[in-house]
Amino acid sequence: MATSRSTEPAQYIAGASIFSGRPDPTWPIEANVAENLLALWESLPTYSGPVQSAPALGYRGCYLRDPKECEWFSYQAVVTMEMNGKVVQRRDHDRRFERMLLTSAPPDAIPAQIFDAIFE
Amino acid sequence: MPVRITIDIFSGRENPVVELSAKESQDVLERLKPAEPLVQDEAEKTATPILGYRGLIVEQTGPQAAAKDLPARFRVASGNLVGGGMAHRASDSGFEDFFFSNKGYIKKLKDATAIRKILNQELPRAKDVRDAFTIQPLPFPIFIICSCAPLYEPAWWNDGGQKQLHNNCYNYACNYRSDTFAQPGRAAGAMYTALTCASVKPAAVKDALEDQPGANNKCPEEGHLVALVIAPNVDFHWYRKGRNGYWSHKPGSTQVTNVDNSGHLISDPRTANRGMYTDFCTFMVVKHGHIKIN
Repeated sequence: MATSRSTEPAQYIAGASIFSGRPDPTWPIEANVAENLLALWESLPTYSGPVQSAPALGYRGCYLRDPKECEWFSYQAVVTMEMNGKVVQRRDHDRRFERMLLTSAPPDAIPAQIFDAIFE
Repeated sequence: MPVRITIDIFSGRENPVVELSAKESQDVLERLKPAEPLVQDEAEKTATPILGYRGLIVEQTGPQAAAKDLPARFRVASGNLVGGGMAHRASDSGFEDFFFSNKGYIKKLKDATAIRKILNQELPRAKDVRDAFTIQPLPFPIFIICSCAPLYEPAWWNDGGQKQLHNNCYNYACNYRSDTFAQPGRAAGAMYTALTCASVKPAAVKDALEDQPGANNKCPEEGHLVALVIAPNVDFHWYRKGRNGYWSHKPGSTQVTNVDNSGHLISDPRTANRGMYTDFCTFMVVKHGHIKIN
């Protein structure tokens, strides 16, 4: 699994909920990628509609966590931020946040056929 | 006519009991006046005991005459009233929602918050379980479908913390909490080397699971039945057959569930919607106390 090339300790961690038997992949996020993700988050419109639920088996979403335990969870065009019990949802029509997050994963962390199926 | 309400939920522990004042009792009996009669097998479904929330037992106590249109003791479950010859809808079919709400009489319990937390999961689960019942004439002698199978206790695993996050499908199928996200063969020093049936199955055998490819969805005489499926070169997944004959599973660190990817109860994992786990590998038997996983 790749490690951050930053000289500072990795502060942001990303992960995807995919597997059942194997541990799910997690990876450190480069500071510049985290900044891009957070800038993208800020640009997204707020959303309060229904959220598509994930199936029991297979890809169930991905997340970004910062050192303050703030989490952004993305699945099917909705990004949900949760911090200290506060929840904010934003619409991501083109799934740019999800795509940027997942493409930051090290090679082989997410099997190619799974990755392809996510954005079919 | 004071009323006592027992929340019928526990198996080992004593059930919580709420004693109502005269005014509260009057309110409850008014809400629980019988409305239309139940039809078909609704009454039997309401009265059939299940694990977890089974309803509220309402008892009219004290020297004063009981409400004439209600028996001295009856059960309320999913808005239905049964007992003492009665089988009707309650006039307030949302009585249980009211009872367990912040304004409801559950607040009289010291541990109301803890009980409410349990019920948040139990109420919909109990309704789903009852709705899924198919009441059929009982054969004689009465057969329990899988007497050695583990109970379906999702609330035990779904704690959102240590148990849920660090135990996977293999832990759940084996009914063995290791808190290590157990991997087939690892405890025996013979972990699988590929995500194929040919590699994962023998690894599980090393953990002392018994391969029963011909089990054909039938419960074993000893132990319980599990099923191994594979997403080729991606992952493995396990199901376990429960006491009621239905299967349940725990996808990774997520919650235990008894439905497949189509939201259907699982009567046979071979025909369930398994998403990417397209290869049905085998049935195996877990004999309690024999296996060791890590």
